[in-house]
Amino acid sequence: MSKLKKIVEEVKDIPNAELDLVDRGISRLDDIAGLYQLTNITRLTLSHNKLTGLPAGLANLINLEILNLSNNSIVELPISLSSLPKLRILNVCINKLSSLPRGFGAFPALEVLDLSYNNLNENQLPSNFFMMQSLRALYLGDNEFEFIPKEIANLTNLQILGLRDNDLLILPREIGQLTRIRELHIQNNRLKILPPEIADLELLGSKSVLKMEENPWVPPIVEQYLLGISHVLKYLKTETYKILYNRLAQDFRNNQPPKADRRKKASRAR
Amino acid sequence: MTLESMFCTRCSEGFEPHEKIVNSNGELWHTQCFVCAQCFRPFQDGIFYEFEGRKYCERDFHVLFAPCCNKCGEFVIGRVIKAMAASWHPQCFCCQLCNKELADSGFIRNQNRALCHSCNAKVKAQETGRYVCAKCHGLIDEEPLRFRGELFHGYHFNCTTCSVELDSTAREVKSRPGYAANDMLSYLKQKYNNELYCLRCHDKMGVPICGACRRPIEERVVTALGKNWHVEHFVCAKCEKPFLGHRHYENRGLAYCETHYHQLFGNLCFICNQVCAGDVFTALNKAWCVEHFSCTVCDQKLTQKSKFYEYDEKPVCKKCYEKFPSELRQRLRESHENTLKKPV
Repeated sequence: MSKLKKIVEEVKDIPNAELDLVDRGISRLDDIAGLYQLTNITRLTLSHNKLTGLPAGLANLINLEILNLSNNSIVELPISLSSLPKLRILNVCINKLSSLPRGFGAFPALEVLDLSYNNLNENQLPSNFFMMQSLRALYLGDNEFEFIPKEIANLTNLQILGLRDNDLLILPREIGQLTRIRELHIQNNRLKILPPEIADLELLGSKSVLKMEENPWVPPIVEQYLLGISHVLKYLKTETYKILYNRLAQDFRNNQPPKADRRKKASRAR
Repeated sequence: MTLESMFCTRCSEGFEPHEKIVNSNGELWHTQCFVCAQCFRPFQDGIFYEFEGRKYCERDFHVLFAPCCNKCGEFVIGRVIKAMAASWHPQCFCCQLCNKELADSGFIRNQNRALCHSCNAKVKAQETGRYVCAKCHGLIDEEPLRFRGELFHGYHFNCTTCSVELDSTAREVKSRPGYAANDMLSYLKQKYNNELYCLRCHDKMGVPICGACRRPIEERVVTALGKNWHVEHFVCAKCEKPFLGHRHYENRGLAYCETHYHQLFGNLCFICNQVCAGDVFTALNKAWCVEHFSCTVCDQKLTQKSKFYEYDEKPVCKKCYEKFPSELRQRLRESHENTLKKPV
């Protein structure tokens, strides 16, 4: 522990310092003396440690812009995190979150939120989750979502939406209102149809990505997909598809494909 | 001629022998008689003025007979301009609007003012709302021809090349192709060598046409995007500010300033969300400032040579990727292989 203390001492007086505490076997932040006094640091990276939770005191670090908690065993986040006034990037990927604290969406400046590889689903999202208007990238891949709330349309600055490896049965039509979306990852879900509004998004440019493999798409979509993404998007605009969509959107609950087997997921391990 | 037959012109008396006799144009005078008819004093410097047979000193002549200038109040000696019921020095009789001398060019009485032809025409034009030809001073009924900063009837001019009579569509050419527009000599040439051409001949001369306003470019020409532009018309397609020599960025046949090019076409850094200053890393449909390109799991810097894995279209360094749950790595590998198999 004295080694960690030394690292903390070193950055204490450097303005806008960045603190790397990667892969150091840390399980309790309270054990790192002086950490909460580092109000000067702008980045704290705690990847590959053994954290199971975060102390509320972390919110003292009021100049934090980047907080990286990747690959820990965090089960719960403190609500105080959402009050960090300058936090722009929060990475909590590969952890054990099955819920988020109430009021989690109160971040004043959050731009990138990575919650991929956790145990979250739509029922665990706090009600203000989609109030984070400053978000430009939201990663929810490798979780357990079956639906995405239509309130996602509030995230008007969203450019990247990662929903890979979930249990999604259908996407809300409101996704078509996210006009700045350039990346949409929906591979490995249980989607049979896409809302026609997806075709209104700019997903075809050289800087755009639509990943949609490994879904039980209806045959006409598969046909177009084999020709290329542009054919899919063109097809979604046709009247034929709109009729098909309206019919299938009624009974998407029937004949649900099975959920993915997540027993081996590290986020589930006890 | 003897002394006995000589008599003074004024007093008709004879002259004494040896007496000094004044002879003026054949007339003889006693010296005491050769004086101003008004003040009876000798002429200063011998200068006198004659009027109706009598001689006057300069001052008395002026007082009695010389006209006074209606403008400056001084006597008018020499040429007298009689106009507007008064006398004037030639240099004092001027157009009441532009102050041009009117003695030789003639004048027009307008509301009891003496005006030159062109001012009179202007005044008349103001009343009627029409332009006045700077050449014939007549009113211009049709569109005026603008030339050297003035307005004309087109029919006073002919095309420099084909001599056809011109109208308002004629083009004034300031610098002939081949002149550098910025040196002084050609500036003077421009100033005095302006020429008029009919549209047809003008087009054949190869004067560049601005891609924005479609008008000929007579000053500096900017060549970009395969077209010519007036310096002030070559602007950012987004903010419409002229580049004025600053760097521009092209995209799909349009030019943009640095800020708007990056804003519109992406080179905003994924980490800082600012326009990437200097060199840019582009990968995974994104851009990074060189100093911000890093592994998204451990935040350690990556370089151009670093190997990285793709995780949700974000870079992950090899060390971090190897610490991923093996179950996740296996699935990522499988879906990567599936993507490779996918027909395009």
